Amino acid sequence: MTCRKIMHSTATIALFTALSASPSLAHEQSGVGGGLASGLLHPLTGLDHLVAMVAVGIWGAQLGGAAIWVLPIVFPLVMAFGAVLGILHIGLPVPELVIALSGLILGLAVALRVRVPFAAAAGIIAIFAIFHGHAHGAELPGSANPLAYGCGFVVATGLLHACGITIGALARWPGGERIIQGVGAAIAALGGYFLVASLGVAA
Amino acid sequence: MNTRLRTAFLASLVLLTHSQIADAHIVSARLGDFYAGALHPLMTLQDVLIWAALGLLAGSISAASGRWLVLVFPLGLCAGLALAAHAGLGTPSPLIDAATILVLGLLLVAALRIPVALLCLIAFALGVMRGAVNAGELLPQTDRLLYAAGLASAGYVVITLVMALALSFRRPETAAVSSWRGIAVRAVGGWVAAIGLMMAGLSLAP
Repeated sequence: MTCRKIMHSTATIALFTALSASPSLAHEQSGVGGGLASGLLHPLTGLDHLVAMVAVGIWGAQLGGAAIWVLPIVFPLVMAFGAVLGILHIGLPVPELVIALSGLILGLAVALRVRVPFAAAAGIIAIFAIFHGHAHGAELPGSANPLAYGCGFVVATGLLHACGITIGALARWPGGERIIQGVGAAIAALGGYFLVASLGVAA
Repeated sequence: MNTRLRTAFLASLVLLTHSQIADAHIVSARLGDFYAGALHPLMTLQDVLIWAALGLLAGSISAASGRWLVLVFPLGLCAGLALAAHAGLGTPSPLIDAATILVLGLLLVAALRIPVALLCLIAFALGVMRGAVNAGELLPQTDRLLYAAGLASAGYVVITLVMALALSFRRPETAAVSSWRGIAVRAVGGWVAAIGLMMAGLSLAP
């Protein structure tokens, strides 16, 4: 009797599920929504990009002064310039290597609390920004709305910087600096891994 | 009876979990052209971005300067719509759209104290440009007055709300642009400029 009831319920559910089926959208996203989602997720799903962007925010917070506000304002612009190079298919030398190197160097700068003049820090970050932007521009999905992709990509990058600056603000609390240095070391280790991986691919 | 109740309950549950958006409102019925005029720009990312950036720019300057835009921008939209419908004013190229977004973003980043007259001129020019773009949806059977009223209302609402948000965020107005609130507004300007730069690259792409 119980078995019959279960069968009855299952059949009813199967019938309603079949009747209310909608098309599956499991492939490359398209349109404004797809472009926005692709752009937002692109910097978040690539761990090499993600750690470097967070490291930029933390380093900016560590350097303090002008760095903490110039970086979030100017960095997206420099990165967009790199994206334009990628979109126009203007090649850059060894992009994967430089992107991996960015994680390693920025992670080490945070872990070792490296203090350099602001112009030097801005120069280093600008070079890395161009390479990261180039990768995002070159990987622009064909079917997605390009403007929506750009909006998502810029906002996600800005929010990653904000995340880094927030981590950098931990320095105000006792022991916070140690945590920041630990995060920097973890970023450097990941950068090192990506560097070895990219060298392995290149070999 | 219990079995039937259970089945009905399960069936209702399955139907509820498969609920979708109902597309059955009055957009295409009475006052459809008003809604078409109001909704078309809000469905276009270029319009949303440019309008929001303009509202932010006005709000980041001062309430005294910005309040003129509440009137000037919707008037510009209507002028652009009229020029496109009667004088054949064309829609700008994607590169001009991109340059507009880039310049608005850079103005926000620079935190310049733009004179009221210049701000009004920029807003009117942008209104004319976007009004002409939105005229692309006009059909022979469209009630142009309703469409223009919808478009102007949307422009008024967006500019007023974004400007009010920016003003209340920047409060007090006399705070230095180097305060964290001022920096946040400038950072958003940096994002807008970056999007404009990317759009320019896309419009130049082969």
